[in-house]
Amino acid sequence: MVSFEELESLLQEDNIIFLTYGGTFTQSLIAGMTGVLEKEVEEAELSMKVSNNIFVVFIELAQNVMNYSKKVRKDQVFDPKGLIFVGKKEEKYFVCSQNIISKDDKQKIEPRLQAIQNATNEEIKKLYKDIRRSGKESHEKGGGLGLLEIAKKAQGIEYKFQDLQDDKFYYKICVTI
Amino acid sequence: MKELRIEASQYTPQISMDAQKGIIEIAGKSYPENTFEFYKPVIEWLEEYFINPQQDTAVNMEIVYFNSSSSKLFFDFFDILEENQDKTKITINWIYDKENESAKEAGEEFQEDFESLEMNLQEKTKI
Repeated sequence: MVSFEELESLLQEDNIIFLTYGGTFTQSLIAGMTGVLEKEVEEAELSMKVSNNIFVVFIELAQNVMNYSKKVRKDQVFDPKGLIFVGKKEEKYFVCSQNIISKDDKQKIEPRLQAIQNATNEEIKKLYKDIRRSGKESHEKGGGLGLLEIAKKAQGIEYKFQDLQDDKFYYKICVTI
Repeated sequence: MKELRIEASQYTPQISMDAQKGIIEIAGKSYPENTFEFYKPVIEWLEEYFINPQQDTAVNMEIVYFNSSSSKLFFDFFDILEENQDKTKITINWIYDKENESAKEAGEEFQEDFESLEMNLQEKTKI
């Protein structure tokens, strides 16, 4: 598991970071970066399972930042930019993302993350299916389905909220695959 | 009824829906920016098709990987099929690469959720 304290040193060791991006997230950028990852894992000769898990976790985290930034831009409250990177540590792959969220959203996300961390794989699967079944109209935000999608593919999830004052927080999440 | 064809993109699957033949095919990756908007023509086509469907309807799906909103969309897609299966005999083939365990698991989960639908998990044979 990668801790946030290690990130700086990780970023300096370019041999294990495949991809890093900071800024505004758009769909074409996400698709482009996914393409880069596909090439990367092809060369690493990873199993299809691990490869697809990396792609899906990457896409979920990146689209989450993108969707959140759209919402933020509409409200014009704060900086909508985000950060994402994909790397490898001790033979395990990880994807981390960071963006700024409101206090209200922190309060929504944090209990979900806590629940996921305490859940068994079976419980995550059940929760995933229950949420997918419910709320036929809630396509846009997925009602937490994205986090469960990540949890299904993850070996470990670490997260942190860092207070930025004025009811804003850095939302940092690292997923090991 | 007009055939619906959508070419694949880097993040959306190839789609073909042929009312004359009663064949629906969706193949590729699925992580659109706006999943609901992207699949809207698919859902609309389905609803029109089921007014006067063929005797048999075949649905072939080969999804390499997909994001969570696509997962939700596929659920709703199967839901529509389930609601209409008294009008036409529906056979769904969920096709996956032998190595692609996640795709197989996804198919199994849909099978569990739609027990009344005839859904076959089909390992893709390499040519």
